[in-house]
Amino acid sequence: MSTTTHDHTQHDASHDDHGPRKGWTRWLFTTNHKDIGTMYLVFALIMLFIGGAMAMIIRLELFQPGLQFVHPDFFNQMTTLHALIMLFGMIMPAFVGFANWMIPLMIGAPDMALPRLNNWSFWILPFATGLLLSTLFMDGGAPAGGWTMYPPLMLQTGNSFPFAIFAVHLLGMSSILGSINIIVTIMNMRAPGMTLLKMPMFVWTWLITAYLLIAAMPVLAGGVTMLLTDQFFGTSFFQAAGGGDPVLFQHIFWSSDTRRCTSSSCRLSASSRRSSRPFHASRCLATRPWSMQQLPSAFCPSSCGLTTCLPWACRLLAKCSS
Amino acid sequence: MHDLLTKVCRRLPATVSTLLALLLTSPAYADWKLNMTRGVTSTANEAYDLHMLGLWVSTIAGVIVFAVIIYAMVAFRKSKGAVPATFTHSTKAEVIWTTIPALVLVFLVYETAPALIRLDDTRNSGMTLKITGYQWKWQYEYMGTDYSFFSTLTESSNAARQLNSGIDPASVEHYLLDVDNPLVLPVGVKIRYLLTANDVLHAWWVPAFGIKKDAVPGYINEGWFKVDEPGIYRGQCAELCGKDHGFMPIVVHAVPKDEFDAWLASKKTPAVAAN
Repeated sequence: MSTTTHDHTQHDASHDDHGPRKGWTRWLFTTNHKDIGTMYLVFALIMLFIGGAMAMIIRLELFQPGLQFVHPDFFNQMTTLHALIMLFGMIMPAFVGFANWMIPLMIGAPDMALPRLNNWSFWILPFATGLLLSTLFMDGGAPAGGWTMYPPLMLQTGNSFPFAIFAVHLLGMSSILGSINIIVTIMNMRAPGMTLLKMPMFVWTWLITAYLLIAAMPVLAGGVTMLLTDQFFGTSFFQAAGGGDPVLFQHIFWSSDTRRCTSSSCRLSASSRRSSRPFHASRCLATRPWSMQQLPSAFCPSSCGLTTCLPWACRLLAKCSS
Repeated sequence: MHDLLTKVCRRLPATVSTLLALLLTSPAYADWKLNMTRGVTSTANEAYDLHMLGLWVSTIAGVIVFAVIIYAMVAFRKSKGAVPATFTHSTKAEVIWTTIPALVLVFLVYETAPALIRLDDTRNSGMTLKITGYQWKWQYEYMGTDYSFFSTLTESSNAARQLNSGIDPASVEHYLLDVDNPLVLPVGVKIRYLLTANDVLHAWWVPAFGIKKDAVPGYINEGWFKVDEPGIYRGQCAELCGKDHGFMPIVVHAVPKDEFDAWLASKKTPAVAAN
């Protein structure tokens, strides 16, 4: 969207809307929230198939007792990469894709608040997952220590170890940038009259979970960086011999990932409830103020699904049955 | 469509009562092992009882909640001419649906907390066993006797589990659940165990004992169990520990106390002779 004002009485053809760029540079340089949202969703779909193929290898091996197809170590590489790809490559980008498409439309904004950041936060993803997938071809194979990356087992990973950590850093960075963009958009770019309490449920859940992601991802990044320094720089965060504790990593990891997981499930429940029938429901809820009973539950993602579901269902029955 | 719904509604009570009858006559499905099984230690049986308590509490809550939802959906549907209510807030309703779940939770904590406290009470134990996890085997040490040994997957299972071994796992007895040197323990004795690992995280898991605890390198976790019935009990490593995580089973032979003493004495003698 152009933010400059033109003298429209004297405009010539060059000031007309040229439409998007032609060719592949449209997608590389785009700042359009729908283009970026589409790229996010297509990317998530590709990752769904890649992570799904890994799940198929796991299932293939498990079809019957004994080992028929892959070695145990490769099996563990598949479980580890499958989970990382599905979480960071599929679920999170899919939700950012939905956010890109729907949040500006739902709150009446012309685009996301930070379009170039939006472009960047998407284009980090192919490189990050490319890095993660490239570990499959490295000496010693991909990480096989499980998606939770617990030390000391994770420290036994071969040459791919630093690449996997860096991939997690990049994926986290993409999440943080996407979350910043969503918060800034929701806080600053609502249409006149679209107060916070009139926002659709999907926007609310994304606002809350974007804050949670900003709080959670640096913790995860810190945890995996400590793994990195334990491996290469002689620290002992997670090694008892040097005064550390392997369980510390589990605390760091889960303090970050429970937030991330609940935020994913929160958005999932919200989007499946709301955005599947946006036009029908919006007449009832999006345009009406929330009662205060729903506000606390929006602030509490872990109970979000449970506490809002029943009152929300009752309300839908009471008000939207026509 | 409406006819179908009416038919469904008319048959609903009969269907529900049939399902309930099936549920209540569940002993008929004795070999249908869907539920958690009872164990052979007080810990395992307490866990089983608490599991059943929690399951029934949530079942009752689920039945009540879904009954209300389904009744509302069926009885107040549009074709019946239902008129939407216009109120938006009810403090009474909110107090009720906050208080009842809170009371249920307090009740569950009241039932669970004593069991958790007993779980950590290792006082007055009859013997101490040290368990150490390795990639990929277990070491057992009878503390105070100098006697320790390693316990690894049996050769027959190990041969069958190799990629394209050509050996049918069904032909191997206790495939992946048998070891060369099983752990031997006395029944009726409170056994305190110390759990650690030598390399990476492991977890010692024997379902019949109700025990699943992490073995952390450099740290010692402790707990206790008392086996009530003699028998052979099997378990596995329960914390991903590398490529052979699935191939380091646990086998415990629980034998009467005098038999155990005789076994331990026979094992200790060669070690003393060697000295």
